[in-house]
Parts: sequence; C-alpha cells; structure tokens
Amino acid sequence: MFYRDRKEWADLEPVPQDDGPNPVVKIAYSEKFSDVYDYFRALLKKDERSDRAFALTAEAIELNAANYTVWHYRRVLLQALQKDLREEMRYITDIIEEQPKNYQVWHHRRMVVEWLNDPSEELEFIADILSQDAKNYHAWQHRQWVIQEYKLWDNELEFVEKLLEEDVRNNSVWNQRHFVISHTTGYSSPAILDREVQYCLNQIRKAPHNESAWNYLKGILQDRGMSSHPGLLEQVLELKETHCSPYLLAFLVDCYEDALENNNQKETLNRALEVCEYLAQEKDTIRKEYWLFLQRSLESRFGPSFDPTVNYCAVYY
Amino acid sequence: MAEEESQLEEFEQIDFLRDRHVRFFQRTLQVLPERYASLETTRLTVMFFAVSGLDVLDALDVIDRNNMIEWIYSLQVLPTEDQSNLSRCGFRGSSHIGIPYSVKGPGVLHPYDSGHVAMTYTGLTSLLILGDDLSRVNKQACLAGLKALQLEDGSFCAVPEGSENDIRFIYCAACICYMLDDWSGMDIQKAIEYIRGSMSYDNGFGQGAGLESHGGWTFCAIASLCLMGRLEEALSQRELDRIRRWCIMRQQSGFHGRPNKPVDTCYSFWVGATLELLDVFQYTNYEKNRNYILSTQDRLVGGFAKWPDSHPDPLHAYLGLCGLSLIGEPNLRKVHPALNITQRAFQHLQQLQQTWRDNAGTCT
Repeated sequence: MFYRDRKEWADLEPVPQDDGPNPVVKIAYSEKFSDVYDYFRALLKKDERSDRAFALTAEAIELNAANYTVWHYRRVLLQALQKDLREEMRYITDIIEEQPKNYQVWHHRRMVVEWLNDPSEELEFIADILSQDAKNYHAWQHRQWVIQEYKLWDNELEFVEKLLEEDVRNNSVWNQRHFVISHTTGYSSPAILDREVQYCLNQIRKAPHNESAWNYLKGILQDRGMSSHPGLLEQVLELKETHCSPYLLAFLVDCYEDALENNNQKETLNRALEVCEYLAQEKDTIRKEYWLFLQRSLESRFGPSFDPTVNYCAVYY
Repeated sequence: MAEEESQLEEFEQIDFLRDRHVRFFQRTLQVLPERYASLETTRLTVMFFAVSGLDVLDALDVIDRNNMIEWIYSLQVLPTEDQSNLSRCGFRGSSHIGIPYSVKGPGVLHPYDSGHVAMTYTGLTSLLILGDDLSRVNKQACLAGLKALQLEDGSFCAVPEGSENDIRFIYCAACICYMLDDWSGMDIQKAIEYIRGSMSYDNGFGQGAGLESHGGWTFCAIASLCLMGRLEEALSQRELDRIRRWCIMRQQSGFHGRPNKPVDTCYSFWVGATLELLDVFQYTNYEKNRNYILSTQDRLVGGFAKWPDSHPDPLHAYLGLCGLSLIGEPNLRKVHPALNITQRAFQHLQQLQQTWRDNAGTCT
C-alpha cells in the first residue's frame, strides 16, 4: 500500500523531486519508488525523529542502497531513538552480503562498529565476503581498518598464508602480507628479510608467471639494496633458466641498475642492456618501446661518454 | 577468397562507430530506466560523462546547452541569507533531497542539504564544457564548502555530514581549486603528505596508506600533484621512474587496474593518462590498446563496456573514448590528461581565468 494512502501518514505532505523545466539524466521511477522517496523527502525536511521514519529508511535503502543521505539520516535516527545496535549489525551484515561493492554500506558498518566499540565479528565477516570475491577492495580496506584500529594483528599472517595457498596470484593478499609484516616485526631484521625473500622465491618456483610475487620481492628490497642481498642475484640467474618470466628479467635489470649506482662497471651495464634487449625483442614485446627507452636511459647514465672537447691525453700529465 | 573475407571481418570488428556513441550519450542525457536508481545521487557525474563524451566526439551541437546549464545551476547549494551554511556549499548530485528548483540565491535552509565534492567538481567541469563563464558560481562559498571537507591527515570526505575519506576526493578537490584558480580551499602540504603516504611497496598508489595499489588511485595521486604543480617536488626522479614502471606493467592488451586482474576499458584512461602525465605513454602498444577498447564497443546501442560482450554504461563509454583520444584516434578531440576535459574546454578555462586576473587587477 502506498504511503500516500496510509492514514498514519496523512499528517505529512509528500515532497516530490523538482528538476525544473529541463531535467537532465532523469530516472523514470515507478509509482512505488516515487511514493517511498516522496515521503522520505518529507521526513527529511522536518528532520522527524520517529520510529516510522526509521522504518521508512529501510524501504528507501532497499530501493537504492547508494543514497548516502538515507544512510546518514538512518544513523541520526539510530542515535536519537537509541536503537539496538546489535540488531543494526545484523541488518548491515545482510545488506553487505547482497551488495558488497557499495561504499555506503561499508561506511555504515564502520560507524556501527565504532559506536559499539566491538570489532569481534569483523574478521570472520570479512573473511566470508572475501570467500565470495577474494579481491573486493572495500572488504580489504575495512579489514585493514579493523586490524589497525583494534590491534588485531595476531592471526593475520596465518590468514594471509592460507589465502596465498588458495591463490598465489591474488595481489590483494600479497599487499596484506606487506601490511601485516610492516606493522608488526618490520623488515629490518636480516632474519625476517631473508625469510620473506625465500618465501617469495618458493612461490615463484611454484608459479613463475606471477607479477605479485616479483613486485613484493622488489618492494621489500628496493630501498635496502637489491644487489646487496647475499646470493640473491645468483638464485635469480638460476631461476632464469627454468622459471623465466618478464618479471624475473625486469627484476634482473633493476638489480643491475642498483649495482651500477654503487659501482659502475662496464660488464654490469652490458648485462643490463642485454636483458633490456631480450625483453624488448622476445620476452615482453608489448612493452618493446619502454624497454628500449630504459636501455637508452641506462646507456646514457652509466655508459662511457666520449666528450670531444676533453683532451684525454692532457689528463695523464 | 577466404583471406579477403576475414580481412573484411577484421575491419568491421575494429571500426569506430561514432554516430552510435553520439546517440548513446544523447539518450543518457534524456531518460534512464528505473534500474539505474543507484545513480540518483550522482546524476551530475553521469551528465559529465555524457557531455564531455560529446565534446570529445565534437558533437556538442546535438544538445541544448543553455537548458543544461540552467539545470546544473539549480544544483548549486548557495549560502542562505545569514550565511550560516557556508561550510555546506558546493553542488548537489541531483534534486533527490527535494529542494524546490531555483537557479539563484539566496539558498534555502534545509537540515540535510549540502554539496558533494565530486558533484562540485563535475558541476564546474560540465559548465565549462557547455561554454558557461562560471559567473553564477559562488566561488567563495564553494571553497568554504571544500575546506570543511579536508581532514587532519590531508584526505577529504565527500560531504560535510561525513563519509569515507580517501584519495578520490583529494583529486576532486584539486580539480575544483585548479578550475577556480584558488588553492585556499585546501591545505596542499597535507594533501601531498596523504598522497605520498598512499604509495605502496610496489610503487603504485592505493586509496590510502597500506592499501593495495590500483590504477584509479594512481591516476588520482599523479593527476592531483600535476594540477597542484608539485609533481617533481613531491616525488623524486627515482620514485617517478618506479611509478612509471608500475603503470606501464598494467598493459596486458588493454589495461587492468591491479596486477593479476582482468583488463577493463576504463583503465585505458586511468593508467593511460597517468603514463601521459609521466611522459611515457608513447612507449605503450597503441594497437593492442585500441583493439581491446574497440572490442568492448557495443555495435548496437553505442557506448563501451568494461569487457567485450557486456552492457555499456556512461562511465566506460566516456573513458573508452578518452582512452582512444590518448592514442590519437582520428576525429576525436584531445583530452587534458590531468583535468579530464578536452583541450578545447581547457582553453576556454584558461581564457576565463585570464579575464578573472585582468578584472582583479582593475578592480580597486
């Protein structure tokens, strides 16, 4: 039954949308939709704080869960009417399960968790959403917020390892690995760094064509000296024979570049230029122009530069 | 014979159907069916996709610009008589709150009426594209509304009532300040800190610190810094080279937004424009990019979708066009990669800003 026909709502004057004489991108709503929202607008104008208003927000949400004003008004009512927040948690759980890629529903859940100051359901709930879509950005964002806010680090590395076993190519999980370790043990200790390097190489042996693993490896080493990690270059050169990929070769170039910055050797430069050539012509041809550009750039930075204005002989006397 | 036939087929598959896209955007600007209800509060952004799309197609003559300009101005949240709502000013996404239609002030006092940062951004760009001179925009009110949205950590919320906060809204804020030629609406230093903090271990940018790097957020980061004129101040040459590498690795055929995810037409713009801003878009593979974008073209109703054989929508239709414009597709206007409007609209903005500066000089 339409709100306009209900006697308990007869005191309210419905408020239609008013787009003026030339509406743009107009959405053609059904009578039912317009009826609910005309009454929502009426409540909003009065800023009515009542149970009937609270009930109506649920209907409005069902018709359009992306309307942030409805969610805001619902939060105002939750507080003004002192509603049961545990029940609200159940409500928002259901909505998110139905619409897990909507910004407003996750923001609402975060607000309710904050009011309750109770994150105890969160990790399990998020794990459930991730079991349906393991790369849902909102879910990972909410997870990081909960963990950081309520210091729930203890079991997260275990969770990460489990998910990497299910899909070693899930980039979101690799990101989470970095998030957990950087906020707990950090990467400064040689033991941890080496453990992580070996972990990466093991995952690469199982699935060589995996950009995420290579990005992680480079990420944890790039500011600590890629070419200075003992034995790494040798391990990578070995892998090149049996587990080659564009990512392995790019990693090699970056190792050589790092080495050149500390000690410019012709042999190192030549190796770097060769790998760029190999990437450009054979192993990563889609980025051919980029690898040739990088080759020119390395040559220019580290190559011999013959300057005709310098009298090289004069240098020796 | 067989070879000729398959060559003809290939040509049919990859030709660009300009007129279909024009009609797609025209229909978008008219009426959408109820299943698009979730777009209600963001209708102004949908208008931007269509209007800017028509501009890229050089087809703005098919619409009634003046009527559209009036509709946009009806969405401006203006100061009330007593100016008590300044921190809530800007543009609404639509008439969904129920404020009676009006294109002039003073503003109406309503407990829940306020602007939304992405609507203020797309409202201003849409006005510019339609040729308006922004003379009816209350610039000081917009900037006051914007200032109220920035948080301690440098990021922005979307609305003063509160919302999620992240790098998307920093981009919207940067565009607003850039267009209004007035950076008093934001604390640039704090915004830069937030942006830097969003850089991931893999050298892309996430939505915030610790979050997974993503093509859309990387665009927001780099484009914002470019608009602020602080790209090389905020990021070292080494960092810029690493970001270039992250971005260029996103090309698979078209582009994807994150490692090991499927490609999607819109990233041809988000990542493509970022690469252009970093001077290395020229090193991407134009043919594979073009072939992917066109494979998502809807040959019947026009527009583009994220994937082949999927339903087109205004966002992918617009960004697909922008992606093609970046690679120099003939008969498409060039797009300003940071501001995401045509160079033509950008020149109109520059002329306007010159007029403002001249007037400011002579007004004493």
